[in-house]
Amino acid sequence: MSKKIERLVKEQAATWSTVKPPNSAGEEFATGLGDVLRGFEKLRGELAFEDEPSSFEAALQETKERNP
Amino acid sequence: MKKPRQVPSPLTQLTLVEACDGVAKGEISSVDLTKAALSAFDAGDKAINSAIALDRDEALAAAEGLDKLRKAGRTLGCLHGVPLAHKDMYYRAGKPCTCGSKIRKDFRPTYTATAIERLEQAGSVTLGTLNMAEFAQNPTGHNAHFGHCHNPWGLDYCTGGSSSGSGAAVAARFIYGALGSDTGGSIRLPASICGVTGIKATQTRVSRHGAMPLSFSADNVGPLARTARDCARLLRVIAGYDPADPTSSSEPVPDYEAALDGDIRGMVIGLPTNFFFDGADPEVQQAFDAAMRVLEARGARTVKIAIPHMDAINTYVSVISRVEGATIHAEWMRGRPQDYAIHLSGRLYAGFGIPAVHYLEALSRRGPILRALGREVFSKVDVFATPTLRLKVPTLAATDIDADTPGAVEAFTAVSINTRAINYMGLPSVSVPCGFDSNGLPIGVQIQGRPFGEGRILRLADAYQRDTDWHKRRPKLAAG
Repeated sequence: MSKKIERLVKEQAATWSTVKPPNSAGEEFATGLGDVLRGFEKLRGELAFEDEPSSFEAALQETKERNP
Repeated sequence: MKKPRQVPSPLTQLTLVEACDGVAKGEISSVDLTKAALSAFDAGDKAINSAIALDRDEALAAAEGLDKLRKAGRTLGCLHGVPLAHKDMYYRAGKPCTCGSKIRKDFRPTYTATAIERLEQAGSVTLGTLNMAEFAQNPTGHNAHFGHCHNPWGLDYCTGGSSSGSGAAVAARFIYGALGSDTGGSIRLPASICGVTGIKATQTRVSRHGAMPLSFSADNVGPLARTARDCARLLRVIAGYDPADPTSSSEPVPDYEAALDGDIRGMVIGLPTNFFFDGADPEVQQAFDAAMRVLEARGARTVKIAIPHMDAINTYVSVISRVEGATIHAEWMRGRPQDYAIHLSGRLYAGFGIPAVHYLEALSRRGPILRALGREVFSKVDVFATPTLRLKVPTLAATDIDADTPGAVEAFTAVSINTRAINYMGLPSVSVPCGFDSNGLPIGVQIQGRPFGEGRILRLADAYQRDTDWHKRRPKLAAG
């Protein structure tokens, strides 16, 4: 998995952004994305896009302190 | 490392509010305060390295002008005559703004940040610029270009970042207050690790016009100072809608300071049962528990509470700032990657590998998750509290990725684990000192409120500081 994600990041960064791995730390941080990917996989089905238009800013208003 | 000489100057011992009051009453001049701050930097900063550039002549000229004005019976505002210095990422027209980087070492913006303008319009003297993590991108205070910032409580230890100079300079009593910025903990971490108070307000509460962007969804401008009352005064000055930043909120700004009456009777403090205490160092846990007892003695009540969606929050927050950071830095990452520190180019690089659908998923869940927090947490408690840093303060060496230190990436990442989730939630959060570990390094507690609940969390922080003296303790290297 770690080599696969490192290769995927390398290909995507090069193909879409023309950015190369700058150093071994970059490869280590890229490998760390494996945990992020597993995090997304675990979340599938838990949360969904809302049907109605909304935003984070609207949620700030809805949940705000009423006696600041 | 050169030991700083002590400067006996009681002026540097004042809090920001005491200094303001002294000037207002004519007991202290702005010139005296400014000279004391400059002397303190001169005496102590060789060891700590908290400043990038001090504008001595300009600051003294501004202070003289403010003293003349006051003698003529006029004052500009609630910060009249008090020197401040700021993280070197706030634009000031015509002045160098390095952002802690080699890439922007010659950058001179053509306009001034709204937060700086508002502080100066309220009468503050801008003394200069403070050290920071390169492009505000690390939680430790390492800087390959201007030198690492050192913790005044122990020079081998990190200061926390990215507002490293802001935390260190306030802790060392060089300066009364400073702007930091917070995208994943960059105000609260140096506040906690250096033993000062710092507040990240609600996302959108403070204008970001003229503040170097790191992650436009999660960046926040805010102060670090010695007390909650100091922070309340500074936040009131900088908060509020700004037409130059259309993302800033038009929510009215209360008089935070006026509400600091010490009365927290009946407030309910949530203590998370999940995530925030996992693997907490026993010394941190003990200091945190003792802090809660102090607040209970003042009439607050603590209850256990589960924070929903923590796995989602931690997954999503790790994506947003990486992708936005990579987007902002794309041209430089293509053209001059060698001009970044190793840890930074490495971190930015990973952001280019995250697909857009995942980034947008992370952004789109922010509103629903905040609403869930409203239903499941804030219907039961007024605030929730956690340690700011759940581990003891690490050394600079242990977190030095650039030196290829084994385990440094993990140690570096662990520093911000309790703070960055709060940025995703968008909640206001204040960090106050609550003790010291066995290495003599500070421990902090962070308190989160509902959106726009800055007044409530500052009231708790101030009430805590009425009954404790952690915020009054000074490192041996401090001025005065």
